Amino acid sequence: MYDFVRGPLVWVAFIVFVGGLIFQAARFFTLTRKKERVFLALNSGSGRGWSIRSIGERFAFLRGTILGTHPVMTIVTSIFHFCLFVAPIFLLAHSILFYQSWGIGIWSFSESTTDLLTAIFLLCGVFFLLRRIFVRRVRVITTAYDYIILFIVVAPFLSGYLAYHQWLDYRTMLIAHILAGEVMLVVTPFTKLGHMLFFFLYRFLIGSEYSFGQGTRTW
Amino acid sequence: MTEQEERPIETDRIKAIMDRKKGGMKRFLSYCAHCSICAESCFLYMAHDKDPQYMPSYKAINSLGKLYKKKDKVDRAFLENIKGIVWRNCVLCRRCYCPIGIDIPSMISLARTICRSQGVYPNFDEPAPKESWL
Repeated sequence: MYDFVRGPLVWVAFIVFVGGLIFQAARFFTLTRKKERVFLALNSGSGRGWSIRSIGERFAFLRGTILGTHPVMTIVTSIFHFCLFVAPIFLLAHSILFYQSWGIGIWSFSESTTDLLTAIFLLCGVFFLLRRIFVRRVRVITTAYDYIILFIVVAPFLSGYLAYHQWLDYRTMLIAHILAGEVMLVVTPFTKLGHMLFFFLYRFLIGSEYSFGQGTRTW
Repeated sequence: MTEQEERPIETDRIKAIMDRKKGGMKRFLSYCAHCSICAESCFLYMAHDKDPQYMPSYKAINSLGKLYKKKDKVDRAFLENIKGIVWRNCVLCRRCYCPIGIDIPSMISLARTICRSQGVYPNFDEPAPKESWL
Protein backbone atom coordinates (compact mmCIF):
# COMPACT_ATOMS: atom_id res chain seq x y z
CA MET A 1 0.00 0.00 0.00
CA TYR A 2 2.77 2.41 0.97
CA ASP A 3 4.68 1.78 -2.26
CA PHE A 4 1.56 2.36 -4.31
CA VAL A 5 0.63 5.69 -2.72
CA ARG A 6 4.27 6.78 -2.59
CA GLY A 7 4.90 5.82 -6.22
CA PRO A 8 2.29 5.66 -9.02
CA LEU A 9 -0.40 7.57 -7.15
CA VAL A 10 1.96 10.54 -6.65
CA TRP A 11 2.45 10.66 -10.40
CA VAL A 12 -1.30 10.56 -11.00
CA ALA A 13 -1.90 13.30 -8.46
CA PHE A 14 0.70 15.65 -9.88
CA ILE A 15 -0.32 15.00 -13.48
CA VAL A 16 -3.96 15.80 -12.65
CA PHE A 17 -2.89 18.81 -10.58
CA VAL A 18 -0.59 20.34 -13.19
CA GLY A 19 -2.74 19.29 -16.14
CA GLY A 20 -5.86 20.61 -14.46
CA LEU A 21 -4.30 23.98 -13.73
CA ILE A 22 -3.01 24.27 -17.29
CA PHE A 23 -6.45 23.38 -18.62
CA GLN A 24 -8.15 25.93 -16.38
CA ALA A 25 -5.62 28.62 -17.31
CA ALA A 26 -6.16 27.89 -21.01
CA ARG A 27 -9.94 28.10 -20.52
CA PHE A 28 -9.47 31.42 -18.78
CA PHE A 29 -7.70 32.80 -21.84
CA THR A 30 -10.38 31.48 -24.20
CA LEU A 31 -13.20 32.85 -22.03
CA THR A 32 -11.64 36.30 -21.82
CA ARG A 33 -10.37 38.65 -24.44
CA LYS A 34 -8.06 41.61 -24.63
CA LYS A 35 -9.91 44.82 -24.34
CA GLU A 36 -9.25 48.31 -25.69
CA ARG A 37 -7.04 50.41 -23.50
CA VAL A 38 -8.97 53.10 -21.70
CA PHE A 39 -6.92 55.74 -19.99
CA LEU A 40 -8.73 56.93 -16.89
CA ALA A 41 -7.94 59.91 -14.72
CA LEU A 42 -7.20 57.99 -11.56
CA ASN A 43 -5.57 59.07 -8.31
CA SER A 44 -2.46 61.11 -8.71
CA GLY A 45 0.75 59.16 -8.47
CA SER A 46 3.33 57.71 -10.71
CA GLY A 47 0.57 56.34 -12.94
CA ARG A 48 2.89 53.90 -14.62
CA GLY A 49 3.28 50.14 -14.48
CA TRP A 50 1.90 48.25 -11.54
CA SER A 51 0.89 50.69 -8.89
CA ILE A 52 -1.15 53.83 -9.12
CA ARG A 53 -0.20 54.95 -5.64
CA SER A 54 3.07 54.63 -3.85
CA ILE A 55 3.60 51.96 -1.22
CA GLY A 56 3.78 54.64 1.45
CA GLU A 57 0.35 55.95 0.52
CA ARG A 58 -1.12 52.45 0.59
CA PHE A 59 0.07 51.71 4.11
CA ALA A 60 -0.93 55.11 5.41
CA PHE A 61 -4.56 54.70 4.47
CA LEU A 62 -5.93 51.35 5.61
CA ARG A 63 -9.52 52.47 5.67
CA GLY A 64 -11.35 50.83 2.79
CA THR A 65 -8.87 47.96 2.57
CA ILE A 66 -9.52 44.43 3.72
CA LEU A 67 -6.81 44.79 6.36
CA GLY A 68 -8.63 47.81 7.71
CA THR A 69 -12.07 46.20 7.40
CA HIS A 70 -11.25 42.62 8.42
CA PRO A 71 -7.92 42.80 10.27
CA VAL A 72 -8.16 39.46 12.07
CA MET A 73 -9.35 37.50 9.03
CA THR A 74 -6.74 39.11 6.78
CA ILE A 75 -3.87 38.41 9.15
CA VAL A 76 -4.99 34.84 9.87
CA THR A 77 -5.51 34.00 6.24
CA SER A 78 -2.11 35.47 5.33
CA ILE A 79 -0.41 33.34 7.98
CA PHE A 80 -2.46 30.34 6.86
CA HIS A 81 -1.42 30.69 3.23
CA PHE A 82 2.20 31.33 4.17
CA CYS A 83 2.33 28.12 6.22
CA LEU A 84 0.37 26.25 3.53
CA PHE A 85 3.20 26.74 1.04
CA VAL A 86 6.30 27.11 3.18
CA ALA A 87 5.80 24.18 5.52
CA PRO A 88 5.49 21.41 2.88
CA ILE A 89 8.08 22.83 0.49
CA PHE A 90 10.80 23.28 3.11
CA LEU A 91 10.03 20.20 5.18
CA LEU A 92 13.07 17.98 5.79
CA ALA A 93 11.17 14.75 5.22
CA HIS A 94 9.87 15.98 1.86
CA SER A 95 13.36 17.12 0.89
CA ILE A 96 14.71 13.66 1.65
CA LEU A 97 11.97 12.01 -0.40
CA PHE A 98 12.61 14.40 -3.26
CA TYR A 99 16.32 13.64 -3.09
CA GLN A 100 15.62 9.90 -3.10
CA SER A 101 13.40 10.26 -6.17
CA TRP A 102 15.19 12.89 -8.23
CA GLY A 103 18.65 13.26 -6.74
CA ILE A 104 18.05 16.95 -6.15
CA GLY A 105 18.58 18.33 -2.68
CA ILE A 106 16.25 21.11 -1.51
CA TRP A 107 17.13 23.33 1.39
CA SER A 108 14.85 22.74 4.37
CA PHE A 109 13.99 24.25 7.72
CA SER A 110 14.70 22.45 10.95
CA GLU A 111 12.05 19.95 11.98
CA SER A 112 11.05 22.03 14.98
CA THR A 113 10.43 25.01 12.71
CA THR A 114 8.20 23.13 10.29
CA ASP A 115 6.49 21.51 13.26
CA LEU A 116 5.68 24.96 14.59
CA LEU A 117 4.49 26.15 11.17
CA THR A 118 2.21 23.10 10.94
CA ALA A 119 0.78 23.74 14.40
CA ILE A 120 0.11 27.37 13.47
CA PHE A 121 -1.54 26.21 10.26
CA LEU A 122 -3.81 23.84 12.20
CA LEU A 123 -4.79 26.65 14.56
CA CYS A 124 -5.68 28.79 11.56
CA GLY A 125 -7.77 25.90 10.27
CA VAL A 126 -9.63 25.82 13.58
CA PHE A 127 -10.20 29.57 13.27
CA PHE A 128 -11.75 29.10 9.82
CA LEU A 129 -13.94 26.28 11.10
CA LEU A 130 -15.22 28.32 14.02
CA ARG A 131 -15.74 31.33 11.80
CA ARG A 132 -17.79 29.27 9.41
CA ILE A 133 -19.96 27.96 12.24
CA PHE A 134 -20.37 31.07 14.41
CA VAL A 135 -20.13 34.12 12.14
CA ARG A 136 -23.64 34.67 10.78
CA ARG A 137 -22.77 36.14 7.43
CA VAL A 138 -20.41 33.23 6.69
CA ARG A 139 -22.81 30.59 8.01
CA VAL A 140 -25.56 31.83 5.73
CA ILE A 141 -23.59 30.96 2.58
CA THR A 142 -21.91 27.85 3.96
CA THR A 143 -22.72 24.39 2.69
CA ALA A 144 -21.29 20.92 3.32
CA TYR A 145 -18.94 21.56 0.40
CA ASP A 146 -17.13 24.24 2.42
CA TYR A 147 -16.55 21.93 5.37
CA ILE A 148 -15.35 19.17 3.06
CA ILE A 149 -12.87 21.47 1.32
CA LEU A 150 -11.58 22.75 4.66
CA PHE A 151 -11.11 19.16 5.78
CA ILE A 152 -9.30 18.29 2.54
CA VAL A 153 -6.87 21.17 3.07
CA VAL A 154 -6.26 20.51 6.76
CA ALA A 155 -6.05 16.70 6.49
CA PRO A 156 -2.53 16.46 5.01
CA PHE A 157 -1.17 18.76 7.71
CA LEU A 158 -3.02 17.05 10.53
CA SER A 159 -2.07 13.55 9.41
CA GLY A 160 1.52 14.66 8.81
CA TYR A 161 1.67 16.22 12.26
CA LEU A 162 0.28 13.03 13.85
CA ALA A 163 2.66 10.86 11.83
CA TYR A 164 5.71 12.94 12.75
CA HIS A 165 4.84 12.84 16.46
CA GLN A 166 3.84 9.16 16.19
CA TRP A 167 0.76 9.80 18.31
CA LEU A 168 -1.26 7.16 16.43
CA ASP A 169 -0.04 4.22 14.35
CA TYR A 170 2.79 5.68 12.30
CA ARG A 171 2.33 3.60 9.15
CA THR A 172 -1.39 4.31 8.99
CA MET A 173 -0.91 8.02 9.53
CA LEU A 174 1.82 8.12 6.92
CA ILE A 175 -0.36 6.48 4.27
CA ALA A 176 -3.27 8.73 5.28
CA HIS A 177 -0.98 11.74 4.97
CA ILE A 178 0.16 10.81 1.48
CA LEU A 179 -3.38 10.03 0.36
CA ALA A 180 -4.69 13.27 1.86
CA GLY A 181 -2.04 15.25 0.03
CA GLU A 182 -2.87 13.53 -3.22
CA VAL A 183 -6.58 14.21 -2.80
CA MET A 184 -5.81 17.87 -2.18
CA LEU A 185 -3.67 18.09 -5.29
CA VAL A 186 -6.29 16.40 -7.46
CA VAL A 187 -9.23 18.57 -6.35
CA THR A 188 -7.35 21.88 -6.46
CA PRO A 189 -7.91 22.78 -10.15
CA PHE A 190 -11.61 21.88 -10.04
CA THR A 191 -12.84 23.41 -6.81
CA LYS A 192 -12.56 26.71 -4.98
CA LEU A 193 -8.98 25.76 -4.13
CA GLY A 194 -8.29 26.83 -7.72
CA HIS A 195 -8.07 30.34 -6.35
CA MET A 196 -4.42 29.41 -5.99
CA LEU A 197 -4.17 30.15 -9.70
CA PHE A 198 -7.21 32.28 -10.28
CA PHE A 199 -6.42 34.87 -7.69
CA PHE A 200 -3.50 35.90 -9.87
CA LEU A 201 -5.26 35.57 -13.23
CA TYR A 202 -8.42 37.41 -12.16
CA ARG A 203 -6.86 40.12 -10.03
CA PHE A 204 -3.93 40.91 -12.31
CA LEU A 205 -5.29 40.35 -15.80
CA ILE A 206 -8.98 41.26 -15.67
CA GLY A 207 -9.66 44.97 -15.76
CA SER A 208 -11.84 46.15 -12.91
CA GLU A 209 -11.85 48.69 -10.11
CA TYR A 210 -9.96 46.32 -7.85
CA SER A 211 -7.48 44.87 -10.29
CA PHE A 212 -3.79 45.15 -9.54
CA GLY A 213 -2.11 46.83 -12.44
CA GLN A 214 -3.50 47.61 -15.87
CA GLY A 215 -6.09 44.84 -16.26
CA THR A 216 -6.01 44.33 -19.98
CA ARG A 217 -8.54 41.53 -20.27
CA THR A 218 -12.28 41.28 -19.90
CA TRP A 219 -14.86 38.49 -19.85
CA MET B 1 -53.94 36.38 -13.30
CA THR B 2 -52.02 38.69 -15.59
CA GLU B 3 -50.79 37.72 -19.04
CA GLN B 4 -47.31 37.79 -17.59
CA GLU B 5 -48.17 35.16 -15.01
CA GLU B 6 -50.02 32.87 -17.44
CA ARG B 7 -47.15 32.57 -19.92
CA PRO B 8 -45.37 29.23 -19.54
CA ILE B 9 -41.68 29.23 -18.76
CA GLU B 10 -39.43 28.81 -21.80
CA THR B 11 -36.77 26.54 -20.37
CA ASP B 12 -34.94 26.37 -23.70
CA ARG B 13 -34.58 30.12 -23.80
CA ILE B 14 -33.36 30.23 -20.22
CA LYS B 15 -30.90 27.47 -20.97
CA ALA B 16 -29.62 29.32 -24.06
CA ILE B 17 -29.01 32.47 -22.01
CA MET B 18 -27.23 30.49 -19.29
CA ASP B 19 -25.17 28.51 -21.80
CA ARG B 20 -23.87 31.68 -23.46
CA LYS B 21 -22.13 32.66 -20.26
CA LYS B 22 -21.74 29.22 -18.74
CA GLY B 23 -17.93 29.06 -18.83
CA GLY B 24 -17.35 32.19 -16.83
CA MET B 25 -20.40 32.00 -14.55
CA LYS B 26 -19.88 28.41 -13.48
CA ARG B 27 -16.28 29.21 -12.68
CA PHE B 28 -17.33 32.23 -10.61
CA LEU B 29 -19.78 30.07 -8.69
CA SER B 30 -17.21 27.31 -8.28
CA TYR B 31 -14.34 29.51 -7.19
CA CYS B 32 -16.33 31.55 -4.72
CA ALA B 33 -14.63 30.70 -1.45
CA HIS B 34 -17.72 31.64 0.60
CA CYS B 35 -15.47 33.85 2.67
CA SER B 36 -17.95 36.79 2.98
CA ILE B 37 -15.19 39.38 2.64
CA CYS B 38 -17.39 40.99 -0.04
CA ALA B 39 -19.99 41.90 2.56
CA GLU B 40 -18.76 45.29 3.77
CA SER B 41 -18.15 46.53 0.24
CA CYS B 42 -21.92 46.57 -0.42
CA PHE B 43 -23.52 49.81 0.78
CA LEU B 44 -26.93 48.09 0.96
CA TYR B 45 -25.47 45.51 3.36
CA MET B 46 -24.06 48.29 5.52
CA ALA B 47 -27.27 50.36 5.33
CA HIS B 48 -29.45 47.40 6.32
CA ASP B 49 -27.67 46.74 9.59
CA LYS B 50 -25.34 44.15 8.05
CA ASP B 51 -28.20 41.87 7.06
CA PRO B 52 -26.53 38.86 5.35
CA GLN B 53 -29.18 38.68 2.62
CA TYR B 54 -27.62 41.85 1.13
CA MET B 55 -24.17 40.31 0.93
CA PRO B 56 -22.96 40.21 -2.68
CA SER B 57 -22.04 36.54 -2.44
CA TYR B 58 -25.40 35.68 -0.90
CA LYS B 59 -27.20 37.49 -3.69
CA ALA B 60 -25.21 35.82 -6.45
CA ILE B 61 -25.37 32.32 -4.96
CA ASN B 62 -29.10 32.52 -4.26
CA SER B 63 -30.06 33.91 -7.64
CA LEU B 64 -27.74 32.78 -10.42
CA GLY B 65 -26.27 29.99 -8.36
CA LYS B 66 -29.67 28.45 -7.86
CA LEU B 67 -30.56 29.00 -11.51
CA TYR B 68 -27.55 26.98 -12.61
CA LYS B 69 -28.33 24.29 -10.07
CA LYS B 70 -31.97 24.01 -11.12
CA LYS B 71 -31.19 24.02 -14.87
CA ASP B 72 -34.33 22.70 -16.65
CA LYS B 73 -36.43 22.75 -13.49
CA VAL B 74 -36.72 26.54 -13.27
CA ASP B 75 -40.34 27.61 -12.85
CA ARG B 76 -42.13 30.94 -12.65
CA ALA B 77 -42.48 30.75 -8.88
CA PHE B 78 -38.72 30.46 -8.55
CA LEU B 79 -38.13 33.48 -10.79
CA GLU B 80 -40.66 35.46 -8.76
CA ASN B 81 -38.75 34.49 -5.63
CA ILE B 82 -35.41 35.69 -6.91
CA LYS B 83 -36.60 38.94 -8.47
CA GLY B 84 -36.41 40.55 -5.04
CA ILE B 85 -32.76 39.57 -4.74
CA VAL B 86 -31.70 40.76 -8.16
CA TRP B 87 -33.70 43.98 -8.36
CA ARG B 88 -34.41 45.22 -4.86
CA ASN B 89 -31.36 43.95 -3.01
CA CYS B 90 -28.86 45.02 -5.67
CA VAL B 91 -28.51 48.19 -7.74
CA LEU B 92 -25.56 46.99 -9.83
CA CYS B 93 -23.36 49.77 -8.55
CA ARG B 94 -20.30 47.51 -9.06
CA ARG B 95 -18.87 48.50 -5.72
CA CYS B 96 -18.62 44.88 -4.53
CA TYR B 97 -15.11 43.66 -3.80
CA CYS B 98 -14.04 40.07 -4.14
CA PRO B 99 -10.53 39.03 -3.06
CA ILE B 100 -10.49 36.39 -5.79
CA GLY B 101 -11.72 38.85 -8.43
CA ILE B 102 -15.11 37.31 -9.15
CA ASP B 103 -17.36 39.71 -11.08
CA ILE B 104 -20.48 39.60 -8.92
CA PRO B 105 -22.52 42.29 -10.74
CA SER B 106 -22.28 40.31 -13.98
CA MET B 107 -23.93 37.38 -12.20
CA ILE B 108 -26.77 39.55 -10.88
CA SER B 109 -27.15 41.11 -14.31
CA LEU B 110 -27.43 37.69 -15.98
CA ALA B 111 -30.07 36.63 -13.46
CA ARG B 112 -32.00 39.80 -14.32
CA THR B 113 -31.71 38.95 -18.02
CA ILE B 114 -33.14 35.51 -17.38
CA CYS B 115 -36.02 36.91 -15.34
CA ARG B 116 -36.77 39.54 -17.95
CA SER B 117 -36.76 36.94 -20.74
CA GLN B 118 -39.71 35.25 -19.01
CA GLY B 119 -41.57 38.46 -18.34
CA VAL B 120 -40.64 38.57 -14.66
CA TYR B 121 -40.09 42.19 -13.69
CA PRO B 122 -40.14 44.06 -10.42
CA ASN B 123 -43.20 46.26 -10.06
CA PHE B 124 -41.86 49.55 -8.74
CA ASP B 125 -45.26 51.25 -9.11
CA GLU B 126 -46.73 49.44 -6.15
CA PRO B 127 -45.30 49.94 -2.69
CA ALA B 128 -43.34 46.91 -1.53
CA PRO B 129 -45.17 45.02 1.23
CA LYS B 130 -42.05 44.93 3.37
CA GLU B 131 -38.42 46.01 3.26
CA SER B 132 -37.32 43.12 1.12
CA TRP B 133 -39.10 40.64 -1.06
CA LEU B 134 -37.31 37.76 0.58
